[in-house]
Amino acid sequence: MWKQPWGYAEGWAICIGLLITGFGLQRITGPVQAGLFQYPVNVAGGLIFLLVLCIGFVVSRKITVVQWFSGLTASITSLSALLSVVLVMGFVGPGIERITMSWPFVLLFLYFLFVLGFVTLKRIVSFRWRDVPFMLNHAGLFITLLAAILGNGDLRRLRMTVPLENPEWRASDEKNEMIELPLAIELRSFTIDEYPPKLMLIDNTTGKALPEKQPENILVEKTPLAGNLQGWKIEVTRSLPMAACVMGQDTVNFVEFHSEGATTALYVKARNEHTGRQKEGWVSCGSYIFPYISLQLDDAVSMVMPEREPKRFASDVMVYTKDKQTKEACIEVNKPLSIAGWKIYQLSYDETRGKWSRMSVFELVRDPWLPIVYTGILMMIAGAIGLFLSAPVKKE
Amino acid sequence: MDWSYFIYFAAPALLCWIGGAWLAYRPSFSKGAVAWTVLGLTIFSAFIVGMWISLERPPLRTMGETRLWYSFFLPVAGVITYVRWRYKWILSFSTLLAFVFICVNLFKPEIHNKTLMPALQSPWFAPHVIVYMFSYAMLGAAALIAIYLLVRVRKKGIDEGMMSLCDNLVYVGMAFLTIGMLFGALWAKEAWGHYWNWDPKETWAAATWLGYLIYIHYRLRHRLRYSAALGLLVFSFILLQVCWVGVNYLPSAQGYSVHTYNMD
Repeated sequence: MWKQPWGYAEGWAICIGLLITGFGLQRITGPVQAGLFQYPVNVAGGLIFLLVLCIGFVVSRKITVVQWFSGLTASITSLSALLSVVLVMGFVGPGIERITMSWPFVLLFLYFLFVLGFVTLKRIVSFRWRDVPFMLNHAGLFITLLAAILGNGDLRRLRMTVPLENPEWRASDEKNEMIELPLAIELRSFTIDEYPPKLMLIDNTTGKALPEKQPENILVEKTPLAGNLQGWKIEVTRSLPMAACVMGQDTVNFVEFHSEGATTALYVKARNEHTGRQKEGWVSCGSYIFPYISLQLDDAVSMVMPEREPKRFASDVMVYTKDKQTKEACIEVNKPLSIAGWKIYQLSYDETRGKWSRMSVFELVRDPWLPIVYTGILMMIAGAIGLFLSAPVKKE
Repeated sequence: MDWSYFIYFAAPALLCWIGGAWLAYRPSFSKGAVAWTVLGLTIFSAFIVGMWISLERPPLRTMGETRLWYSFFLPVAGVITYVRWRYKWILSFSTLLAFVFICVNLFKPEIHNKTLMPALQSPWFAPHVIVYMFSYAMLGAAALIAIYLLVRVRKKGIDEGMMSLCDNLVYVGMAFLTIGMLFGALWAKEAWGHYWNWDPKETWAAATWLGYLIYIHYRLRHRLRYSAALGLLVFSFILLQVCWVGVNYLPSAQGYSVHTYNMD
């Protein structure tokens, strides 16, 4: 080993050596502190990394053994080492940050990036036009990964809970520490649009939806509506999308109610096709003030209305920035608002009150490295298209 | 349009594909084979379009719906391969695979409903999944060829032509796999605030991607070590299966992955 030319043995040895070094560092210093790696330290770190890469490349012209790092064996072994760590992560699940922030992972990742950079540099120096897809793929991946890890320390992800009509400018970070921001959000209104209600049958003893494993349901888009569930003929005769529950001695009734806390109620008639048994009554999913009402059809099954599924969450907001900008906007899932270097996302709401939530929770994200990451991603997309177009290796 | 009409579209489409597959065995390149396959694809896509309209959302959410696209893209992949590289058997092969996935949807239908959670309501949804399904079709074909070569042909000697077919399928599949993943990253930024979150689905997607990268580089390094390369191809496809289906069942992803939409 370690005699020229290097092969797989050396490649695996480097990876295992880095892994052992990583475990050692982990024991001594604990996990990698991404927080310490903020601007300008990360910029300096990135420049040093690029410098080492360039020096290594220049040196490789004199010391031929260094050329091994731009070869396929180095690529294959470093890819395989990275894959093994990713596989471990795939089986670990929750708490994956413990691995991505661990020294063994970071060292192997940096080594992979080093090899990738080396390969890219070698091609840049001897560039020919047919190398364009190669360059886009390799340089694109290199830029994406480098900017992603360097930018990690500057990435801010904050959570802000905004009550109705009270502008908020403080947000909390992952450690629940309060941070004052250069912008304030005022929540004008919060709305949830819901899909039409559904009806389904549950087993009275287990409470499980029927048939087990693949529950069936009826989507009640309009009334009157007829349908069939598990041998029961179902007829929905009345629908109250905004309803209040009125409980008598032993009766349950629903009336229209257009105010906070309203629930949805359906009047259902059911007839069993085999036994002829009939049953009718109200079914409701309830709300934070009204109870959930099911309809027992016989000893075995009851009809229920599961909570209505949300179609859209939206917060109407006014955002104020320190430099006197104001912006009115509607923030929805998948439709964040960009302002003053921040992106504001709809994250959550008061789930106990559901659609009547009087507050909205936002996530605020700042990632100054994003343009570089996106440059790399766009290069890779172009490279992938190039890969597709240039794939034909001629049939023999 | 709902799943009860599926058979009326799937059966004629399959007949067209079988016709195309049969014509492809003619000695010279057959335009008829291409035409019949495309006709079948048109009939099949009519069903997809009908589902899309009646569900009022792209039919891409449940496993059954992704199988629908998979059975659509297999003949697409087949006809592209046929036009580009002229393999006579490729249309029979893609038709057979499409047939299997159509049967799964016919005999194991899923309950479908119109609801689509807000996280999936995005212009990125359709391209992200469609590109992935096309890529899975290509890589699935490559994996089956690899298994066939390893099990049946290895003793007699694998020829370079078959290996370069695998390479072609992997290059095309990998191009789409990459685009699907990057579209996913761009979408994740809009939906969840960051382009990469190491969600279980993302972790396995990364593993799959690395697996195929190793295959590609290994083939460049060792042109003649066929069996090891084919083994890598099968291994990578196993990773792909974990990413596509397995994540729904993997204990490490339960109640945690934001990608398990179909487990209501």
